[in-house]
Amino acid sequence: MTPLLEIQGLRTVFRSANGDIPAVDGVDLAVPRGKTLGIVGESGCGKSMLSLSVMRLVPRPGRVAAGRVLLEGQNLLDLSEAGMRAVRGGQVAMIFQEPMTSLNPVHPIGLQIMEAMRAHDTKASNRELRDRAIAALDRVRIPAAARRFDEFPHQLSGGMRQRVMIAMALACRPKLLIADEPTTALDVTVQAQILDLLKDLQAETGMSIVLITHELGVIAEMADEVAVMYAGRIAERSTAAELFASPQHPYTLGLLGSVPRLDETREELLAIEGAVPPPFALPKGCRFEPRCPFALAACRSAPPPLEEVAPGHFAACIRAPVENSLDIAA
Amino acid sequence: MSATVTEVVPPTRPGTLKILLREPAAAVSLTVVVLVILAALLAPWLAPYDPFETDLMAVMQPPDEKYLLGTDGQGRDMLSRMLFGLRVTLAMGALSLGIGGVIGVAMGFAAAYYRRIDGLLMRLADIMLSFPAILFGLAIAAIFGPGVTAVVIALAVATIPLMARIARSTALVVLGLDYIEAAHAQGMGDARLIWRHLMPNCASPILVFATLRFGQVILLGSALSFLGLGAQPPVAELGAMAAQGRTFLFFAPHISVIPAVGIFVVVLAFNVLGDALRDALDPRLRV
Repeated sequence: MTPLLEIQGLRTVFRSANGDIPAVDGVDLAVPRGKTLGIVGESGCGKSMLSLSVMRLVPRPGRVAAGRVLLEGQNLLDLSEAGMRAVRGGQVAMIFQEPMTSLNPVHPIGLQIMEAMRAHDTKASNRELRDRAIAALDRVRIPAAARRFDEFPHQLSGGMRQRVMIAMALACRPKLLIADEPTTALDVTVQAQILDLLKDLQAETGMSIVLITHELGVIAEMADEVAVMYAGRIAERSTAAELFASPQHPYTLGLLGSVPRLDETREELLAIEGAVPPPFALPKGCRFEPRCPFALAACRSAPPPLEEVAPGHFAACIRAPVENSLDIAA
Repeated sequence: MSATVTEVVPPTRPGTLKILLREPAAAVSLTVVVLVILAALLAPWLAPYDPFETDLMAVMQPPDEKYLLGTDGQGRDMLSRMLFGLRVTLAMGALSLGIGGVIGVAMGFAAAYYRRIDGLLMRLADIMLSFPAILFGLAIAAIFGPGVTAVVIALAVATIPLMARIARSTALVVLGLDYIEAAHAQGMGDARLIWRHLMPNCASPILVFATLRFGQVILLGSALSFLGLGAQPPVAELGAMAAQGRTFLFFAPHISVIPAVGIFVVVLAFNVLGDALRDALDPRLRV
């Protein structure tokens, strides 16, 4: 079956006095139907810009410079602005990191859900939309939905607001939900509830989810497939199980090494040295090379291509598969 | 996951009006504003005499029990003329503020939302701002002839750039907020987004400015009428009344002083109210 969403060679740049600065630089991805693709990476690696590029909501002075975003074969980058508006919230919906500020403080939550529905359905009566909005609140497990309908955002907790955001996003039964760090701003217990809810809703509706996060724990919990992003590029891509079992890119190794685990006794966590290079001063070769403990001279000359190192497992590293050549610090 | 439904009683937030009335100056100014508006609306029923009826046996009478505020140079009852004059003055202010406000806010929102035309619209506003309102009033009066219409047009045009600037800067802040991005991601159209999300969240600074501006507009309108560009005799208008009395300033000062005090009180009340409203609408002061 063809994937629901295919991203090919996507490049998103920001215009500056010194020329175009890439935020997303030649990304290829596929989101399978009914599955969850996790995109993981540090702050500033381009994962949010990638999702905004799919929605064509890159803030100025940024723009998508090259590539294709195919939703069921239709290139979203070719659509008119009106056509794109129908896609947003209709076929592809998005939820954001900050549930505290993503709702308009002056309107009751129910009205805001109705507005999200109204954007894609101009015919339904208000009464009908109201019933559907209450059903939507009910679907995201908000207790006493009919009464909550008239409450204002400030009367709800962060977790409840994120549920409202999810209800709004799912109001028009999208095929794809892009969740940009949906749980980062929430308590750990609430986080688990929201992730469970997303999984349940996925099982109910069969939608695909793109889950953007910097937490590998969330990926392990949710994702079927994972893409690791670094400095605007995909460093490694595989199924979630495979990625955790045998990471191939030194960056992924570093990420996994910096997560505290209960089932291991380690004295110290492995931290990745240094910081992400700023997008206006990227190395010519592999972008991870300056921080990579395994770097060779060859890493500096040209960026390594994303190559299949095992069936369905891609890594952009000339030394992959990495275990063969190295004794990894335990 | 099972959720038990518990009754949550949100702490009642004091309303804007309640916060407003906490401040004595605000309470007084609000009372004055309400009374002034009521007096203007009810002028035909409140006025003891016809404002145009002359009593040549009682010209330039100082206040007494028959004519509570005295009579003017033509023996017309000052109280009745004040009530009807208030009407014209307030209507002039409201009309020019309304026209200037709607156009100015639309211009400001357009500049903030469609950044492409931002530069053009704001330079236009700068040009409009560089004309003094009085000078503009003179020009309009020269074209259309003096009268209330000329004053309304002049004051509306003078209000547009100010409103546009306030609306634009407020809108720019609101447009940067997360719920605007969320609305875009829901595929909401421009018109709906501006109406549903931008307008209500920009309302309070605009409302505060409008209240303060109302005082200024009345003052400017009265000034234009005083100069003879606005309301023409026999129409009663506070600025024009003050002007008509200035010939008799030394032996019947009440003819000029009473309308002048009227203007002073109205303008002061709107200014104090505007300041108080700004404080009351500031969410940080909501305790």
